[in-house]
Amino acid sequence: MPTIDAKSISRRHFLKKTGWSAIGVTVVSAVALPLGGCVIPALPTRNDPVLEDGLAWVQALPDGRIRFFCPRMEMGQGATLGLCQIVAEELNVEQSQIDCVLPDTDQVPPFKMTVGSEGISKSFEPVSFGAALLREKLRKMAATREGLSEELVKDGQGGFVLPSGTELGYGLLASSETVVLSTSDYQASGVEVPRYAFERKTNFRAIGQSWKHHDLHAIVTGQAVYSRDVSVPDTLYGRVLHPPALGAQLLGIEDRAAAAMPGVTLVVVDKNSGFVGIVAETPFVLSEAMDALEVQWEVPEDLNQAKIEGDLDVEKFRARNQFEHTLASEGDIDAGKSTAQYQTVTRYDTSFAAHAAMEPRSGTAWVREDKVELWCGGQDPFFVQQRVAKALGRDADEVIVHSHRMGGGFGGRVICQATEEAALLSAAVGRPVRVQWDRETEFQNNYFQPAFSHHIDAGVTDDGQISHWQHDFVSAPILTGMVPQPIGWVLDQVTADGGTARGSLPQYQMMNRNIRYSDIRTAIPIGAWRGLGSAPNVFAIESMMDELAAGVGRDPLTFRLQNLPPASDRLATVLRRVGEIAEWGRSVPSGVGRGIACAVYKNETAVAIIAEVLLDREARHLQITKIWCAQDSGLVINPDQVENLVMGNIVWGCSMALKERITFEAGAVEQNNFHAYEILRHTEAPEMEVVLVDPGDAAPAPVGESALAPVAPAIANAIFAASGRRVRSLPVDLDSVFSDMAG
Amino acid sequence: MRIEINGKFLAVPASLSGITLLDFIRDFVGLKGTKFGCGMGLCGACTVHIDGVATRSCQVRIDDVGAKAITTIEGLAATASAGPLHPVQKAWVEESVPQCGYCQPGQIMTAAAFLSRNPDPSNNEIRQEMSGNLCRCGTYERIRKAVARVAREGENNAHD
Repeated sequence: MPTIDAKSISRRHFLKKTGWSAIGVTVVSAVALPLGGCVIPALPTRNDPVLEDGLAWVQALPDGRIRFFCPRMEMGQGATLGLCQIVAEELNVEQSQIDCVLPDTDQVPPFKMTVGSEGISKSFEPVSFGAALLREKLRKMAATREGLSEELVKDGQGGFVLPSGTELGYGLLASSETVVLSTSDYQASGVEVPRYAFERKTNFRAIGQSWKHHDLHAIVTGQAVYSRDVSVPDTLYGRVLHPPALGAQLLGIEDRAAAAMPGVTLVVVDKNSGFVGIVAETPFVLSEAMDALEVQWEVPEDLNQAKIEGDLDVEKFRARNQFEHTLASEGDIDAGKSTAQYQTVTRYDTSFAAHAAMEPRSGTAWVREDKVELWCGGQDPFFVQQRVAKALGRDADEVIVHSHRMGGGFGGRVICQATEEAALLSAAVGRPVRVQWDRETEFQNNYFQPAFSHHIDAGVTDDGQISHWQHDFVSAPILTGMVPQPIGWVLDQVTADGGTARGSLPQYQMMNRNIRYSDIRTAIPIGAWRGLGSAPNVFAIESMMDELAAGVGRDPLTFRLQNLPPASDRLATVLRRVGEIAEWGRSVPSGVGRGIACAVYKNETAVAIIAEVLLDREARHLQITKIWCAQDSGLVINPDQVENLVMGNIVWGCSMALKERITFEAGAVEQNNFHAYEILRHTEAPEMEVVLVDPGDAAPAPVGESALAPVAPAIANAIFAASGRRVRSLPVDLDSVFSDMAG
Repeated sequence: MRIEINGKFLAVPASLSGITLLDFIRDFVGLKGTKFGCGMGLCGACTVHIDGVATRSCQVRIDDVGAKAITTIEGLAATASAGPLHPVQKAWVEESVPQCGYCQPGQIMTAAAFLSRNPDPSNNEIRQEMSGNLCRCGTYERIRKAVARVAREGENNAHD
């Protein structure tokens, strides 16, 4: 039976079973851990916001300021800033007059998890509604106070202006009590309340301005408090022993040396559940105590890369002609093939990937008899609340989550494992406990972006139309990836995973198309990663479009435009625009290549990317020299913030294209820090030029992960243009790009 | 043992001998602006100045600091003559560099030490020098612009 020494796992050092018996392990401190209970799992907070939700989010404070309980968490995407600008638009206030609060779970009703790049697009309406309703309530109060009709109370700066010219600030109206909204305000005003965010169009006072983030000063001075930085008095430090591999079983543990250390408060060993945790007075003692544990694990040797890749191999499914879901089936593929002037059949692959956010997760918990407090940076505080309540056997109302700015989210912080561990340990010691994961723990114990394998059979007719499009792909369920296995299997029978399929419907006109996929559960934990399926799916589609254009000798930009239907005019516009700014078609020196790709994210945000690469054959070096992007994300609340996010997507896309790949061996993640899982560095980042296309009169569309998907295929297509080599698997294998190339 | 952090001298208890400078700064002194990112000197989030040299505090044992002066992000502004922000911090604000912001104290510390050594770097030198600091949000272009801005404004001031 294979065993493994946890302390040596990073060196993958397999030990023979040591002499002492795994049976009869001493439980130094027998603490009844309230693990589990009800079989129905807590679920992420999924309901989209509705207008009425806005009532709970805005208040007028006695000092005249506006308190905004922001219903989106902040992880760098800046949704908190954009929503403040919407509040300011409705209430005619300056940025300095808004207190933007990431609400505790007992301050507002539950709101949807912060995911899907929808922070602005879905909260725009309810936030503007709540703020507008508050403004009109304050106007009514002003009218009553002055004995005037409401029409005579005009908007002013941070308040109103009376017919006499007197200015009346909100503070005077709020007097000693905070003005809050109630359902009766909603019933009295109805949905007819004037909303400047919709009416002002181009005469906005806050929308469309590049406000600087209210946390900016705190960030650059080191004062911003991430969950890792929270200080709660009298806090102890805890850590939970994590298995060295997925599916590893705890065989035995020797914890007497750890328990005997001065400064160790508690060692918890629950052999049945495999839960082992230590609480100590300082993080320094804690580290030593963890190191003093002698642990034996049984690891699943057969859970390796070849097996997992085999499970997700599209050709296996094609051989059986069995796919779980059909996304589109129109026309007749065989008939289409007969009209093809050019036909090609190609496979594309993308890898498992990690979020690798810069802040490894951390959480503090204080479990008391009357309440449980958690300090956490997560994308779904109400999910954290539910999960911890369930784990501790408490009512959710007793659990309060204090939310903090996250050091990167990217889909990776929908659950907050460190916070849950802190709660279990705090319950055991009755004092506040902080748990901080290190980087290795973060890589081994989070969830991942699944690998995708694609098979596309497509062709082009004489007149440059797409003759047929047979696209089959296999990956794992993403949106439901964290649902426990038995429930997951049932779920898969009745529903297709829209996260896995995201971006898989091409925008192009296709008379004959058939798109099928299977989402297969493997032993690898899967969850949301920036853009979900969009980047892998668009990589396959836009690579194939490039192959088709090349196959019939057409310009890749023109070929795309020719095949876009009239309904895709916004995508056509950004394609043309990116062509203009990059001077597409201009001749480039030898070794330089340019590639183009485009996509519409979530049927809302149109993005076109041109990438330029330089291949240095002698040095066998590939540099992405420049990336141009044109994006139409509708009404832009904060252009500077959106540009920053688009550039972030571009860097992420370069990183995905060139570097990122998670692999597994004997159930263990093989990349446990940044030397093995490299992400793009400064020297590797391209120059960038971003243009935001304003379609006029369009609602705000997703931004946070929209520009990502076309980046990798644009790079792959640029490599083809430079070298004649097709990149059909990500990350790019430089050896194959440069193989047999003359120096 | 005593060490100097941001101009103040602090006693290091013997029991903490052997811990990293990063752990000492964060968990003992309580200055949380210096971040833990990787623990292996690979990401730069924990960068501080030791006698003005940008150093990965996760790779320095507290015992090895000796008489050298430590500056953290909290003490950076005080090392410059003007205002509540160091010129590098000011440029970071002006260029709106951060997204999540977690890596930015480390980026700023690296940039500040670099610019004091090389006040007028080329774009290529900026990229090379900043390459040890990872940013997952992808703010590299704005970091480069902010560093270039400090250099440019420093030159203008010198000519005033």
